[in-house]
Amino acid sequence: MLTQFGATAESLSKASTMMFRIGTDAHLYDDPDDVSIAPLLDSKFESEKCEALKRLLALIAQGFDISNYFPQVVKNVATQSLEVKKLVYLYLLHYAEKRPNEALLSINYFQKDLGDPNPLVRAWALRTMAGIRLHAIASLVLVAVGKCARDPSVYVRKCAAIALPKLHDLRLEEHTAAIEEIFVEDMTMPHELITTEYMKSMIAYRLDYNLAFDNLHIFWRIYLSSSESQHIVGMLLKDNSPGVVGAAASAFASICPNNFSLIGRNYKRLCEILPDVEEWGQIVLIGILLRYAIAKHGLVRESLMLSFEDLEIQSQEKDDPESSHLTCTSPLLWSYNSAVVLAAAGVHWIMAPKEDIRKIVKPLIFLLRSSGSSKYVVLCNIQVFAKAMPSLFSPYYEDFFISSSDSYRTKTLKLEILSTIATKTSISSIFLEFQDHVRDPDRRFAADTVAAIGLCAQKLPDVSNTCLEALLYLALSESSNNAVALMGEEEILLVQVVKSIMAIIKQDPHSHERVIVHLVRSLDSMSAPAARAMVIWMLGEYCNIGVLTSKMIPTIFKYLAHRFHSESVETKLQIVNACVKVLLRAKVEDISELRLAISYVLELAKYDLNYDVRDRARVLKNFLSHCKGFNYLEEADYRTEFNDLTYVFAEYIFGGTKKVPSESFSYRFYLPGSLSQIVLHAAPGYEPLPEPCSFADDETGHSPTNVHNDHESNEIDDSDDISGSLDEENTSDYSSESVSGEGGDSYIASDSGEDEEAGTLIHLSDDAPDSGDHDRVSVKNTSSGLMDAGELMSKRALESWLNENSDSGQNSSNLSQVQRSLARISIKDIGQLVKPKSYTLLDPTNGNGLSVIYRFSSEVSKVSKELACIHVSFSNHSEEPMCNIFLAEEKPNPSPDSSEKSGSPSESVLVSHDKEATLIPMEEIDRLNPGQPADRVLQVRFEHHLLPLKLVLSCDGRKQQVKLRPDIGYFIKPLPMDIESFLKKESQLPGMFENIRRCTFSEHLNQQNDKDEPPQKDIFLMICEKLALKMLSNANLHLVSVDMPVAANLDDLSGISLRLSGEILNNSVPCLVTLTLKGTCAEPLEVSVKINCEETVFGLNLLNRIVNFLAEPPR
Amino acid sequence: MLQCIFLLSDSGEVLLEKQLTGHRVDRAICDWFWNQILTQGDSLKLVPVISSPTHYLFQVVREGITFLACTQIEMPPLMAIEFLCRVADVLSNYLDGLNEDLIKDNFVIVYELLDEMIDNGFPLTTEPNILREMIAPPNIVSKVLSVVTGNTSNVSNTLPGATASCVPWRKTDLKHATNEVYVDLVEEMDATINRDGNLVKCEIYGEVQVNSNLSGLPDLTLSFANPSVFNDVRFHPCVRLRPWELNQILSFVPPDGQFKLMSYRVKKLKSTPIYVKPQFTSDSGTCRISVLVGIRNDPGKSIDNITVEFRLPPCVTSSDLSPNYGSVNVLADKTCSWTIGRMPKDKAPSMSGTLVLETGMERLHVFPTFQVAFRIMGVALSGLKIDKLDLKNPLSRPHKGFRALTRGGEFQVRS
Repeated sequence: MLTQFGATAESLSKASTMMFRIGTDAHLYDDPDDVSIAPLLDSKFESEKCEALKRLLALIAQGFDISNYFPQVVKNVATQSLEVKKLVYLYLLHYAEKRPNEALLSINYFQKDLGDPNPLVRAWALRTMAGIRLHAIASLVLVAVGKCARDPSVYVRKCAAIALPKLHDLRLEEHTAAIEEIFVEDMTMPHELITTEYMKSMIAYRLDYNLAFDNLHIFWRIYLSSSESQHIVGMLLKDNSPGVVGAAASAFASICPNNFSLIGRNYKRLCEILPDVEEWGQIVLIGILLRYAIAKHGLVRESLMLSFEDLEIQSQEKDDPESSHLTCTSPLLWSYNSAVVLAAAGVHWIMAPKEDIRKIVKPLIFLLRSSGSSKYVVLCNIQVFAKAMPSLFSPYYEDFFISSSDSYRTKTLKLEILSTIATKTSISSIFLEFQDHVRDPDRRFAADTVAAIGLCAQKLPDVSNTCLEALLYLALSESSNNAVALMGEEEILLVQVVKSIMAIIKQDPHSHERVIVHLVRSLDSMSAPAARAMVIWMLGEYCNIGVLTSKMIPTIFKYLAHRFHSESVETKLQIVNACVKVLLRAKVEDISELRLAISYVLELAKYDLNYDVRDRARVLKNFLSHCKGFNYLEEADYRTEFNDLTYVFAEYIFGGTKKVPSESFSYRFYLPGSLSQIVLHAAPGYEPLPEPCSFADDETGHSPTNVHNDHESNEIDDSDDISGSLDEENTSDYSSESVSGEGGDSYIASDSGEDEEAGTLIHLSDDAPDSGDHDRVSVKNTSSGLMDAGELMSKRALESWLNENSDSGQNSSNLSQVQRSLARISIKDIGQLVKPKSYTLLDPTNGNGLSVIYRFSSEVSKVSKELACIHVSFSNHSEEPMCNIFLAEEKPNPSPDSSEKSGSPSESVLVSHDKEATLIPMEEIDRLNPGQPADRVLQVRFEHHLLPLKLVLSCDGRKQQVKLRPDIGYFIKPLPMDIESFLKKESQLPGMFENIRRCTFSEHLNQQNDKDEPPQKDIFLMICEKLALKMLSNANLHLVSVDMPVAANLDDLSGISLRLSGEILNNSVPCLVTLTLKGTCAEPLEVSVKINCEETVFGLNLLNRIVNFLAEPPR
Repeated sequence: MLQCIFLLSDSGEVLLEKQLTGHRVDRAICDWFWNQILTQGDSLKLVPVISSPTHYLFQVVREGITFLACTQIEMPPLMAIEFLCRVADVLSNYLDGLNEDLIKDNFVIVYELLDEMIDNGFPLTTEPNILREMIAPPNIVSKVLSVVTGNTSNVSNTLPGATASCVPWRKTDLKHATNEVYVDLVEEMDATINRDGNLVKCEIYGEVQVNSNLSGLPDLTLSFANPSVFNDVRFHPCVRLRPWELNQILSFVPPDGQFKLMSYRVKKLKSTPIYVKPQFTSDSGTCRISVLVGIRNDPGKSIDNITVEFRLPPCVTSSDLSPNYGSVNVLADKTCSWTIGRMPKDKAPSMSGTLVLETGMERLHVFPTFQVAFRIMGVALSGLKIDKLDLKNPLSRPHKGFRALTRGGEFQVRS
């Protein structure tokens, strides 16, 4: 008690000036370590412990590392005082991960607390236990969570729901660690892969190959705990208390956001309970329900989202489930919580029919009256809404009027929104506002206002004259102001004014001659170089649009010549440019007048201090010397071809009335209310909406059929005969194209007739691959949906699209390249395009200068079909020659076998052991000179698809162990088949023979960046080609077909699918691979890889391999 | 979900950090953030969502304290901002204001509150009434006790019953000696008057604030005489939405104590109670300013707390302002505030003076905006009238009281 009193007295003296600090914890924060904390922690008085813990907390707050007190603090977890407990928990949560061993000491007390009658104690214990992140107790925590999820207290159940994501997070870490343990190759497996199939295959794995039981155990545990926690989430979602449901929703969103079946069971009830859920849960639940509704029912036909998409995703008529979601979210538009309102507005935006969207406008605008921070976020969202549908907000323009207390960013956002939603009726009042803002003390804002005026004028041509008047007045008054001597910020405004005027004039230069004249006249008083430069540009550009200007030109050039030396570089360059333009456009009779001034200007420019100006002057002078009547007026008629050419060039550069491509607003934005939309890039964890109707519930499996019903009529005339004939047409098209393009392509020529048909990489078919039998898989569904949408486009359009593609030179070469790569595959030859990946067997640093590289070849061994051929390249990097290089199996006592190739005694050590790999050895290399390479072929039978094979490399008598890693991609060989038999075979291998994984493919991105201007239309081909190459370079497969969606946006690659086939080497079981793309060109593509193979284990391994190499960055 | 919350003082010092998930956020992020603030100045200071190299930051600034939250993954930004605002509200409610010292002095309470308000990055208990039951706010008694005995616990030993009930905002068994409920209409007038003196925009943002001290589980119904004036409304979670949709009646079980029942907006009002007429006349390097304030539309009650604030344009070097009523204060950052107080009966207040412009400048070409604040007691300018307040299950007849108040909100006059 004495120490306590002392401390208080001391703090009293310190805080004597501030009476209000007495009795608070101020002294603890100010001097947390002025007494030694350790003895206090061991004290038997709760109050002393409490003080010590508060001091520790103060140290944490100030960022000191005090984990060394851990053992003493942990002891106090046994306390009865709730305050001490709370403080201990706060400490534990902060440091437990750093000190896992000591933290384990606390577990018993948590367990005990979990049985406490006081729900608060139970909840705290659970929260802390789940929060301290110890892998060792993860299973204990899961049990505890399960128990608490059935607790009578709502609060405890809520804490249990929140504890689930903590556990999930912890498991993800453990999970990745476990995976890495098992697979030699690095791979990260998305969590949802832990499916029953996966476990099934893992068991098979164990039985067949005796994998370490531990690993399997880990898998089981992960799988079980994952399914257990999903089970708990499901249970909590059914909870009676809305508070628990909210927390369960957040757990659902972070644990299993795509497990729609869990939602499906409770959808109706969740909708009903939504208004009662606490606000934070509402935000999450709204999003979940939205995703579910989209995945299950698709979009409403009249909704806004659909009208953006060119492809018509079929959807049901507005029916009960959707409208129930909408009706249950609409009261939330009145919520006190801005985030809830925005989330609800987002749902209406996406789901509601167009006429109902109006509902969200007022609540959204009302949000603007809340705190400044949320105002910004809301405005960002409104901006997107308004751009997509200006009419929605145009009646409410007054609400976007700027208040002087807004932050700068808010002001600019409001200006942008105002210029988007301005209409003929509202523009006059908006202008009045703008006029006020122009005189705002913040000049940056004033300049932005001027830019907005310019935008409005361009948008609404009716008012452009008024705008122009106002701007001109502003420019003139500003420039006169400027003359007085105002620098810096003032300039911004003037430059912006001239820029806006320029933009307006561009639209219709002929009617605005007077404005140009005005501007030019005020040139003398304008001091901002950028503004001057722009005025001079206009002068040059529009020098002959009217009588007035052409009359003024000579005088002006005299003035410019006079002022030239005092201009800034920017302006000088424009003056020089203007000279050329004027000359090019001037009538012959005026030239004599101009010539003097202009040649004087050019002469000045030639000797300017600035490089750029000098260079420009030289170039242009050269131009002009060939132009009509500049230097040699009398020879005006005399034109050589060369002169003509320069004239054309000059015309092209300076005379071109370039159409500025109108900026079309991209409708691909992020979900309303998301972080990604504010930061304008996809934040990690951002998930776009699921594909409409991609989720079919078992109970009501009607969505896929619905998709097809609407298209029945179309499908009739889309039957096979038409598409078949079209295919043939295309095929012939392509080969002729490539022959003409490449001048008799030898690959094609060498192609056999039967390969020709299969040889078309781009097998374009209009209809969906006959997917009726097996469209239970969501991916299939979407692809077929896209294909169906394609029918809306006529065949003609498709053809023209194709023709356009092959028109440009680059494209045609691209096409033939694609084709070539395939033609080669079909003749089973590895060309330059398909480059199998090579691996290092021996590094020169380890092998005394000998380097050995191997790669798998697509050749099939002639000896036995179970052997894989491996090309091994030796090269000598050392100074001295090497002798007797030989690769053999590791087994020391080989029993010689009757081999077909037992030639020389040294080479024929063909080992045939039942459990070991068989190796047909290569020829021995007798001598390898420095720098000399040597290639050999090795034929190996790998026993295991994944485990490396140990070999001995002998060189100069020394032996060295090396490991040959198998590549499962080469345990198969191409199995040529056509698309029909592929689909038939595929339909015979459903269910457990089918495995799907997703990965991202981003190789095309680099490619696009490399080319400075990729023509829009060949991106499809390029990506197909990339993907096909990647597949064929890494696995020995046969490319069956490539399907492309036709109606999709140019940017949208969704629906491209590649089919490849092969058969397993040792048992000739066919193995079918289907790749389906999703995403847009500009982003990494989502590739879903599907394998149908009777050998499930092999198929899975191959699948993993494919996913790995697809996702790996390009070499 | 949020990963960490930092509280920063107005000089960039980290007052405290609270890690929320296993993904720890290093303090260095605060240095990065503060550097950005220093280098980019005000424009960044007011951007609530910032993407730093490692994290996305959300910031809310309240009375000089920056609440900074970090996340690495997608989450609704408004959720983070709203939560930070809620934290700021709760803290200033607990500590009677917000400043660096208050937070340092009560850091234990701040920690306990944060721990209760958010768990694993997801808001847990944000209802102020329940928080008050779980963690006792500091008060004189506890302060005195702590000086005398050395320690008091502010952590409640029991879980508030409300967490379990279907009305989580209300204690279950309340007993008040006096049964009373007060309804206040607090309105703020937002108005913009443009340079021509025309009223561009005039609207009321109002709140219905209720102070309820009722025993048991009262069920209240509040109806308005003219609910059609509302343009937009937002409700406290306790309001049942169905009766409002049907009959525009507010039916609710109130939380105990003071709370905001609803907020509303009434647009397109025709006139303002007072007028402010600024006038500038420039002449050869000086500028004469005169500002007139007067009653335009007598609301029937006296107008007080009138202040007129504006910021002199940057090109003004010195000023000499004198009012005929009230006092004028010019701050270093060229903000002038003219405090009038109660509107005098006999004369119209006016202020006049001269501004000296920068050398070389003939006349003023940018003009400031005047912010006007005022208060009128007893009047709701929107014209909203409360019809009646009914108590469905009264133990005894409660005492009911109604008040109204209108303040100037974003009332600005451009010159």
